[in-house]
Amino acid sequence: MTHQPPYLIVVDDDPDFLDLNRRMLEKAGYRVDSFSTVSSAIEAMRADAPDLIVTDLMMESLDSGFAFSEALKSDPELKDVPVIVVTAMTSQRGFDFRPHGEEDLAAMNIDAFFEKPVDYGKLLAKVGEILNRTGG
Amino acid sequence: MADEVARILVVDDELGMREGCSKVLSSEGFEVETAADGLAGLELFRKRGNFAVALVDLKMPGMGGLELIEHLRNHDEDVAIFVITAYAAIDTAVEATRRGAYGYIPKPFTPDELVIPVRNGIERRALNIEAKRLREERERRLLELARERSKSSTIINCMADGVIVVNRDRQIVLRNNAATRIIPDFEQVPLSSPLERLGFDPLQKLIDEALAEPSGPVIASNELIIDKSTYMASISPVLEPNGEAAGAVAVLRDISALKKLETAKSMFISMVAHEVKSPLAAIEGQLMAVLSGATKDDREHETALLERALLRAKNLRTMVNDLLNLTAMETGNFTIRRLPINVREPVEAAIDANREKAGDLNITLKLDMPAPVESQVLADRDSIFLILMNLIDNAIKYTRPDGHVLVSFTDNSSYVKIAVKDDGIGMTPEQTDSVFDEFYRVKNEHTVNIPGTGLGLTLVKRLTELHQGSIKIQSEPKKGSTFTLTLPTVG
Repeated sequence: MTHQPPYLIVVDDDPDFLDLNRRMLEKAGYRVDSFSTVSSAIEAMRADAPDLIVTDLMMESLDSGFAFSEALKSDPELKDVPVIVVTAMTSQRGFDFRPHGEEDLAAMNIDAFFEKPVDYGKLLAKVGEILNRTGG
Repeated sequence: MADEVARILVVDDELGMREGCSKVLSSEGFEVETAADGLAGLELFRKRGNFAVALVDLKMPGMGGLELIEHLRNHDEDVAIFVITAYAAIDTAVEATRRGAYGYIPKPFTPDELVIPVRNGIERRALNIEAKRLREERERRLLELARERSKSSTIINCMADGVIVVNRDRQIVLRNNAATRIIPDFEQVPLSSPLERLGFDPLQKLIDEALAEPSGPVIASNELIIDKSTYMASISPVLEPNGEAAGAVAVLRDISALKKLETAKSMFISMVAHEVKSPLAAIEGQLMAVLSGATKDDREHETALLERALLRAKNLRTMVNDLLNLTAMETGNFTIRRLPINVREPVEAAIDANREKAGDLNITLKLDMPAPVESQVLADRDSIFLILMNLIDNAIKYTRPDGHVLVSFTDNSSYVKIAVKDDGIGMTPEQTDSVFDEFYRVKNEHTVNIPGTGLGLTLVKRLTELHQGSIKIQSEPKKGSTFTLTLPTVG
């Protein structure tokens, strides 16, 4: 299914980021749905696959952001949907989640990584770049 | 002892004999006491004591010489006893010696024949006493040494730290109970075994390093993990007086509890950092969005963003305040003034303070007090207010619009009970168990937009404990929660 304009899904358990990310992406001309839990997002995506996902890392549990992208990659319908992680959870409990290159991104099953607060200029540029590449 | 004037006892029934001896011996510088029969002699000996020499006549009425000798000997094992008698029969002499006499002075005798044996007796007695003293001293020292040894080994064995001593030839020469407990299968390793039998490479390496280069009081210390516990191993050289290493002593101290505290502390700091970082990132993001000009054509959105930023900042400040209060309580710097008060006033004040917020959400907030509460509680008014503020604020936050929050207030002779009941979203048993933990927040689709610090209930719990009270939760998902605060009354 193709959308005109591209269809994006935003997942974050912080209501302010959810609201902010949704509005900024909408302002840039995308169609956006936002979800505060991984389960509600996955349910919605099964009905209507998005062109790109912007998600937080730290949600109900420590690694649910990774588990989320892993679940997506194992779903034949959703495996090609690009994932951008936007998180404040970069060094919680001694773990450093920051990817240090393409290899790390691949290991994390994600396409891009941003630290909160995100520079929307850079985020929008990345979204545009990925959508161009995938033809979304 | 030689300077002391020797005292001599003369026991003889003949007055002439007593006077003769007395005269001769006094002129030699001795102190002489005399008695006319055995009983009087024994009495004198017992009373005055410390005679160096006793001269005893064998043939006396009443208590005879042999019997007296025996008594004297029992009384003082050092006194030099001489028998004086005209009956110089061998068998009597033997019997007298057997009973403890030292020598024999046959009657009649010249002054010299008396003085020389007496001097000999005094000297031998002195030698005997000296020998005995030395013997006793030696025995005492041996005993002390033995005691000292068993004392040190008892102390070493009672130590909580593991102690292992290795000699220069890398043989294990000593280990205490703690060491055999700490190192697996160490008990099966006999003493004098080579260091390798320790079966624990990191420690062996440390000890070998210590033996190779003995310098300083502690030459190596390292953290070692043995059987899930963390030990600080300190190795010191055992040095001989000439400075050469005779071996090394390893001390293993269990620092697991310290390590756990350390981990808990860094986890807590990391949690605090995250809890501060999230709202700051949100505020920063909101301000960045406004400043970027993205909202310049949408005043309504701009205002919404700034209002949210303000709310997050306020919430962050509340959290920092809660955190400071909690830390102050933990370090004992939190002062509460407990006075006998009726807690009705702070309870009603907390209800009033939440009325507007409840009204905005169309939530019914009511006080239920079936009978006037008169009981006094030893409490800090502001703490009770803070507890109720938190409980009522939570009840409103986690209740859907049009819901109900009921504060019931009852008392009896031993306690005051304040229950805050809502018909809100409720909690699962797991959530109920964690709800007093620092930074714990129930996360589900109903709680996404509810701001909170995750510290309010932690604070409530600590404050309640400071008042010797209790706080209990009854909760069911989708039905609601009841928080019940119980405080003991005064008198």
